[in-house]
Amino acid sequence: MGLLFSRIFSSLFGEREARILVLGLDNAGKTTILYRLQVGEVVSTIPTIGFNVETVQYNNIKFQVWDLGGQTSIRPYWRCYFPNTQAVIYVVDSSDTERLSIAKDEFHAILEEEELKDAVVLVYANKQDLPEALDDAAITEALSLHKIKSRQWAIFKTSAIKGEGIFEGLDWLSNTLKGRG
Amino acid sequence: MCLPGNQAFFILKGTMSGHDSKYFSTTKKGEIPELKEELNSQYKDKKKDAVKKVIAAMTVGKDVSMLFTDVVNCMQTENLELKKLVYLYLINYAKSQPDLAILAVNTFVKDSQDPNPLIRALAVRTMGCIRVDKITEYLCDPLQRCLKDDDPYVRKTAAICVAKLYDINAELVEDRGFLETLKDLISDSNPMVVANAVAALAEIQESSSKVIFEITSHTLFKLLAALNECTEWGQVFILDALSSYKAKDARDAENIVERVTPRLQHANCAVVLSAVKVILQQMEHISSQDVIRTLCKKMAPPLVTLISAEPEIQYVALRNINLIVQKRPLILAHEIKVFFCKYNDPIYVKMEKLEIMIKLASDRNIDQVLLEFKEYATEVDVDFVRKAVRAIGRCAIKLERAAEKCIGVLLDLIKIKVNYVVQEAIIVIKDIFRRYPNMYESIIATLCENLDTLDEPEAKASMIWIIGEYAERIDNADELLESFLETFPEEPAQVQLQLLTAAVKLFLKKPTERPQEMIQVVLNNATQETDNPDLRDRAYIYWRLLSTDPEAAKDVVLAEKPTISDDSNQLDSSLLDELLGNIATLASVYHKPPESFVSRVKTVQKPEEDEEYLEGQDSGQNESSAPIPDSVVASVPANANRAASAAPVQPAAAPPMPDLMSDLISLDLVPVSEPTAAAPSGPPLPVIFPASAGQGLQISGRLIRRDGQVFYSLAFENNTTGPLDGFQIQFNKNTFGLAAAGPLQVPSLLPGTKADTLLPMLLFQNLSVGPPSSVLQVAVKNHQQPVWYFTDKIPLQALFLEDGKMERGSFLETWKALPDSHEVTRDLPTALISSVDATVEKLSSSNLFYIARRMLKDTNQDVLYLSCKVPYVSGKSIPFLVELTALVGSPGVKCAVKTPSPEMSPLLFDAIDFLLK
Repeated sequence: MGLLFSRIFSSLFGEREARILVLGLDNAGKTTILYRLQVGEVVSTIPTIGFNVETVQYNNIKFQVWDLGGQTSIRPYWRCYFPNTQAVIYVVDSSDTERLSIAKDEFHAILEEEELKDAVVLVYANKQDLPEALDDAAITEALSLHKIKSRQWAIFKTSAIKGEGIFEGLDWLSNTLKGRG
Repeated sequence: MCLPGNQAFFILKGTMSGHDSKYFSTTKKGEIPELKEELNSQYKDKKKDAVKKVIAAMTVGKDVSMLFTDVVNCMQTENLELKKLVYLYLINYAKSQPDLAILAVNTFVKDSQDPNPLIRALAVRTMGCIRVDKITEYLCDPLQRCLKDDDPYVRKTAAICVAKLYDINAELVEDRGFLETLKDLISDSNPMVVANAVAALAEIQESSSKVIFEITSHTLFKLLAALNECTEWGQVFILDALSSYKAKDARDAENIVERVTPRLQHANCAVVLSAVKVILQQMEHISSQDVIRTLCKKMAPPLVTLISAEPEIQYVALRNINLIVQKRPLILAHEIKVFFCKYNDPIYVKMEKLEIMIKLASDRNIDQVLLEFKEYATEVDVDFVRKAVRAIGRCAIKLERAAEKCIGVLLDLIKIKVNYVVQEAIIVIKDIFRRYPNMYESIIATLCENLDTLDEPEAKASMIWIIGEYAERIDNADELLESFLETFPEEPAQVQLQLLTAAVKLFLKKPTERPQEMIQVVLNNATQETDNPDLRDRAYIYWRLLSTDPEAAKDVVLAEKPTISDDSNQLDSSLLDELLGNIATLASVYHKPPESFVSRVKTVQKPEEDEEYLEGQDSGQNESSAPIPDSVVASVPANANRAASAAPVQPAAAPPMPDLMSDLISLDLVPVSEPTAAAPSGPPLPVIFPASAGQGLQISGRLIRRDGQVFYSLAFENNTTGPLDGFQIQFNKNTFGLAAAGPLQVPSLLPGTKADTLLPMLLFQNLSVGPPSSVLQVAVKNHQQPVWYFTDKIPLQALFLEDGKMERGSFLETWKALPDSHEVTRDLPTALISSVDATVEKLSSSNLFYIARRMLKDTNQDVLYLSCKVPYVSGKSIPFLVELTALVGSPGVKCAVKTPSPEMSPLLFDAIDFLLK
């Protein structure tokens, strides 16, 4: 019986899309990550004024990934995209130590949002290819990730340029979403 | 099939995510939330349907702007149809959501790099339509790319986008070098790109005072090459650009004409008219008469073809042809027959045709033309009949050899005894008499037979002029005049003036008893009974002239008159040239220069010149007979006003005169008071509501103060095509509670006319709350148009009270009593005190009163102290204590104000700035 259920379940789940937001300060690497996920290679990007949206098929889940511009002028409009979101991928430039506190503030502001209270959170400590990049533990500390209660979260060391860590993060995400489904 | 309960639940869960349960409990119902939900649907079809619903709602006028982000989120799609719908939505609502519009930028950037050229062009076209400052800058990069796109369709769309961007932000376009790129596109290999680049450059040029687009010999070659290959509207753009090109020499011009001539055969009348324009312009540079003759021959058939189109196009063609025949009558000299009116032509086409027939009438075709006119004069439409009769008269004045035939036709028409035909005929016969003196006076007897049927002022005045002018040939002239005199006081001014002059002429020609009595009655009547200053002044001049020197009076009144010519409906040559340069535009239909009705054009134009053009236009449209150059006193009706100043009185000793005259010398002349004009003289009123905003209704106005009361001095100008009446005015709540004290007195305004009015205003009627503001929101309506809203500024000087003068002592006390926080200063960089005395006088006439003055030794500046008062609710008033510091004679005044209500001081500064201009 349980087997039957899970079979029905997975086939139904496979048809639907999970809505994922990719957020983070400007120049964190959000758009690069999006296209790394979608086409599997590094595309040259310009600052995103507005948004990109792509559908990514991974682990039998269709992700509808929204990459929102991270510039100060656009951040206020992130909230327009919050409803119905299952997961937030928060991208941090691990080498930009000066703005880590801003990244932290923005991050916790997002967590406060009522409309995102059920969303799981995946943090990418990006730009690990750069020598001055902090590791995941340091980022966890800087973003005070341990303060997160009542929410599933994970942090991964990534390098969008080299393509490292991104799919590991996505594995976690798809498993978590399936588990919750 | 029946599923177990929990299975059904899972299916549900599958389609809706877990926390979507709120959809089941929601209480809000309505279109917008439903649409919002559908827009966010993951199913593409549902999404597209939702966007279609949104667009449908938008089209019928429902506000769906709150769905902005949801719609914009559908923008990144593979589906072209959906994309177009979202773009359409964006164009409509980006302005109302300028902040959120930024969310669309990235999609534009992406789409402008799409592999599909249609999407690239669509993106760049839509970008140009989004007039939001915040995002224009982001759109420059994509535009730059699209201007250099491989696909001509994208390039041509981008070219137009540059013109649109220029309208939003000219500096940006110049800084980014788009103008240069656009100029490069003139050499593009694709003719449509060339045409659009030309169109964009021409449009940019129109709104810029700098020279941006000038055709050189190199670009000329490119344009001519593209001309034959691009679409019809592209051809129009190129031709319009070519018409402004100044050919180097005759050969250059001939070359252009040769390349343009084939366009005359085009089926699109816009192309034909633009080609005609180019050829006419270039003909100016061609000296060979043979070439000109051939060109004229070539231009005739296409113009004739235009007359066989539907009436609306005919009308446009006729208005343009009217201009063309004024410049080059040769072109259509042999084609007069196509302008003969058909019975079923609309009246506006008939009227225009008639005008052109008059212009084309010649000795060769006059017989035919007169036959036509005669027939028209028996038709049913009164206006058309009148115009036909006038046309006969104008032909008589224009063609000396045909005059007799024309008179014959007019006499025939008089015989049919249709009242308005007779009256119209008499008016034109008066002009014919003036044009050909001593030739056709034999017909006066026939005219006199119809004396009692005359009831229109102009006809009456004309007949009276004829009687006076030929008094010596009409045996019973005195009787005839007498019959008119009985009703002298009731006659319109035009007739009164003519009666006066005719009586004087009669008296001078036949100084017998009856005319003598008559003139006494007339002069008495005209000087004492009337309040028309023109009539009174003219009567006094005659009176004095007759009493000082009757011989001189004879010389003056009966002087020989210069001959007249038919120059009515003839445009001034510089205006004509300007209009010919604008053939195939509205200017050539209105016969008005474009800047008089298009406000976007930023060319520097002196207002007086404008005024003259308009007047010239009025006389052009006015169907009256030829304006006749006035010969001193013996003037025809129209020229009453100028008679006085021109009379050359000879200082000769007075010969013996009939007794009557000696009485006149001792007559006390009553000082003539100025007529009370409705609108004040002084600086012209600023335009507060331009014609471009009011569909042709223009309103100028300013609040003024007169005799202790506030008035709204207004001028209404009707530039629409129909009459406007039933004007009403309303004011929104404002700081001073200004409201109309009575109804707005504006008469029915005919097209092209203007009316001035003074609207008395009351204070403290509908006060607004909040900080003081000079904004006065006005709503004006009339019977023909929607309600117009506009804002004016309340000039504080219109509220300055007459009792605003303070004693020096109390000024000082008040100044000291007020805390320093109540003192406000502002520099007025353009204000000027040219002389202290003149300024003080000027200011005090505006109720800003002088208190004291001192000199600043070290800077040589003068300091003036002044005071004024502005009314304040509950019967009180706010005093203002003003200190002006300035160097006399050089611009720049420092103004300090102390007042219990410092929040009012900005308004006061504006007032002082205005008064010191």
